This record gives sequence, structure tokens and C-alpha cells, in this order.
Amino acid sequence: MSKHITTSEKQTIALGKKIASGLKDGEVLALTGDLGAGKTTLIKGIAQGLGIKKIITSPTFVLMKVYQVNSPKASRRGVIYIRQFVHIDCYRTKSPQEIVDIGADEYFGDKNTVVVIEWAEKIKKILPRQTKKILLELGNNQNTRIINIT
Amino acid sequence: MIILGIETSCDETAVAVIKVDRGNFKILSNVVSSQIAIHAKFGGIVPEVAARNHLKNMLPVLNQALIKAKVNQKKIDYIAVTNKPGLITSLLVGTETAKVLSYVWKKPLITVNHLKAHIYANWLPSGVGGAPASHRNDRAEAPDLPIKFPSIGLIVSGGHTELIYMKDKFSFKNIGQTLDDAAGEAFDKVAKILNLGYPGGPVISKMATKGKPDAFDFPRGMINSKDFNFSFSGIKTSVLYKVRGLKKLSVKQKTGIAASFEKAVVDVLVKKTIDAATKYKVKTILLGGGVTANKLLRNEMKKNVNVDLLIPSFNLCTDNAAIIAAAAYFKILKKDFTPWSEVKVEPN
Repeated sequence: MSKHITTSEKQTIALGKKIASGLKDGEVLALTGDLGAGKTTLIKGIAQGLGIKKIITSPTFVLMKVYQVNSPKASRRGVIYIRQFVHIDCYRTKSPQEIVDIGADEYFGDKNTVVVIEWAEKIKKILPRQTKKILLELGNNQNTRIINIT
Repeated sequence: MIILGIETSCDETAVAVIKVDRGNFKILSNVVSSQIAIHAKFGGIVPEVAARNHLKNMLPVLNQALIKAKVNQKKIDYIAVTNKPGLITSLLVGTETAKVLSYVWKKPLITVNHLKAHIYANWLPSGVGGAPASHRNDRAEAPDLPIKFPSIGLIVSGGHTELIYMKDKFSFKNIGQTLDDAAGEAFDKVAKILNLGYPGGPVISKMATKGKPDAFDFPRGMINSKDFNFSFSGIKTSVLYKVRGLKKLSVKQKTGIAASFEKAVVDVLVKKTIDAATKYKVKTILLGGGVTANKLLRNEMKKNVNVDLLIPSFNLCTDNAAIIAAAAYFKILKKDFTPWSEVKVEPN
């Protein structure tokens, strides 16, 4: 477990890039944290770290966005490649079944794929056992965030 | 010609039938799953917002759209369907339905970009079989004036915030977009912070009418940036910290926050749109998407825009299939059809 305190959006993005550098394909990251805690910002950093050039926007409305990872330099982990980055947002979902209904769970643990999930506590029941948990908390200052990774 | 439109890119299962006669549009039916109750014998409608029961809803909605339009398959000339952007599994229900209809009924198929359809909403009259568009800025008396180009389009909804440059009625060039949250999403999330329920747009607007727009100073993200991009994530956080700082909110504080938040979002949308219109020297501004149902946005645009301004009527701002059929018309003019076997969905 590691605890990080960031004091700006820039630092949260930098932490995301650092997380990305240690990712293997098939990994699932479950993010938990209140509105405004920095979940999407951290994910922007992870995506940048994976070499994704597209703008990462919030998937709250559409529930899931899938990005192709093309940069071999950023995605190469030994002989393993990360080719897909799946960004899921459970903010509007009421039950894990809805995530199953849209087929999102089929990406969990999938070869060549990294999955990040916002509001993951809502679908705890269907998360794979090896899921990496990231807890984000609001600091007392508007720019401070406390981020715990387990 | 008669066009059947199908839309399933996000929450709504929607089917519509429109008739286009020498460039004049008439909506024969426009059925949206969340807005109707269908008898159980057709399978019933599942109304929950995020339930994504497009598969269950599709046939009853299609059936209803044909009945209301008083048309059968013989009268339909073309099938139009949204194939991007959206949620892949939702899009597939629409495209698979359209493919089957195209194959079985032997009708040409047109794939439609959902975002462009929000702009083409401005070519439609208001309501089913309704009077010609009465939504045009200070030219309600002359609704048949042609739409002049070049123009700037602002698409603003729960999932999108984009500025588009159109040199003519067929061409779309993205010149800016949100870098994080869509404007409509900010409304929903601020409504949640204020405990006002879902969807956030209408409840915030209602609260805002009772509050002072200058009660609180919320950030107008990227309002002075040189590009045409937007950011609405910061204002959400700003509202959150304001609410945390105030502990228990009085009614006056709540209405003040709603009004100040709404004003801040609208200020950014209006300024960026007008800046784009000035830079690109356009003759018209076209709005589209669910947030354009917001009254403050409509009024501020009308007040500040000094070129032609078009805003869809309220029922055509949110997701529906009449706008999909309308967008298809412009591809039909260019004979831009897709064989049913070659239809692809493109979620992003």
C-alpha cells in the first residue's frame, strides 16, 4: 500500500503517469472517491502514461469509453503489450448487473487490456479478485488530494 | 420522401418517421422510450434512465412510431440509424435493427453521426406535424428564411460539449471541445452536491430562478483561453468546496449557488460560441443538444448573438430519432448510403 498527497491537478496527473509505468495487461484498477476527488484527473494521467493522445473526457453519461493504445514504447512491458484502455464510470449505475448488461465486465482481466473504473464500490461484487484499489480523498485545501493505492 | 430514423446511442431507445418534401421537413412520429408507456402486450417499456434495455424497448418503440406516423413499410423510402458516437452495446441494438429492416424491406440504409444530428435538429419544425419552426431568434415571423453559411454549431449535452465550424450544410469541422466534463454533466453533478436529484438541468434551472446569479463567484473555466476548448470539472469542485465550507445550506444559499453556477456555465458557453463566430466570420449560429433546452442559455444567446441564431424547439434538443432522420436527408442528397452488410459502429 502506498499513500500519496498531491497539491495540484498537475501532480495528480503525474501520479497517474507513474501508476501507468507499472501496469501490466489484464489489470483492473478500481477507483473510489467522492465527486471532485480527482478520479478522472488521475485517469487522464494514467492514459497519458500509456501513450494515449486522445483527450480523456468523463464517461459518466455514456458509461464506458474504449481507447486504443498505439504507442509501442509506452505500452511495451517485456513481451506483453497493452492495446486497449477501457474507462468505465459507474456513477449512474444502480446495480452491478447494468455493467454486465453493457458487456463491460468482459474486458476485466482481458489480455492486452487495462481497465479503470470510477465509482467502483458500486460494482464490488463483480470485480476480479486481483483488482488494484485506489482510494481518493478530498483534502482541506481545494487543490489537495490524498490518494491511497493498495 | 419518407425516412425512418433509429437512435440508441445512450439512454433513449427512439424511433421516428419524417417526411421531406422539396427541403421541407415534417415529423410524422417521434417516439422516445422514456416518454411513453406502451401496453404490456408489446413487451412494455423499461423507463429507468441507465437501465439500457434498448433490446426490450426497440420493437415496441418501432411499432409505436409506425402506428403514429400511419405508415407501413411500403411507404418508407430510407432507413437511418445512429452508428456513432456512444456506448458500443447500445449502438449495436440500433444498427442491428436498421440492418435487418434494410435487408428485409429492401430500403437503402444511411448511418448518422449523433452529434451532427443535434445540429440538423434546426432544420426540423417544432413538434410532430407541428407548425414551421418558431424557435428562430427574432425572426419567428419569418421562419422560412434560409439557413446561411458559414456557421458555427454548439453541441452541448450530458455527454458532449463541442464547437463545430460548418462552411456549408454538409461539412463539419470540430474546432473545440470539453477537456473533461460535459456541461450537462456539470449540471447533474452540482444537482447531486446540492441534493436536488436527477436529471440536474431542469432542477438547477428551477432553483436558479429564485436565486441571485452574483451571489457566489464560481470560476469560468478556460473562458479566456485562446482556443475553443472547455473545462467544466473545476466549477464542480469549486461548488463542492463552497458547500462543504457552508455546512448547512439555507434556502437562500442553495438558490444562490444554483443561480451563480448556472450563470457561470452559460457565460462560458455564450462567450466561446460568440468568439468562434467572430473569428470564423459566420452568418449563423446553430445550437443543439439537451443543454440547449436551458432557458438562461437560450435567452443569453438571443441577447448577445448578432448574427442569425437557431435553437431547436425544446422537444428536439434532447436525444430523439427525428433528428437522426433529418441528418440522414443530407446524406441522401449526396447518395451516401451504406450497404447493410458494411455498417460499423464507432463508439468514440
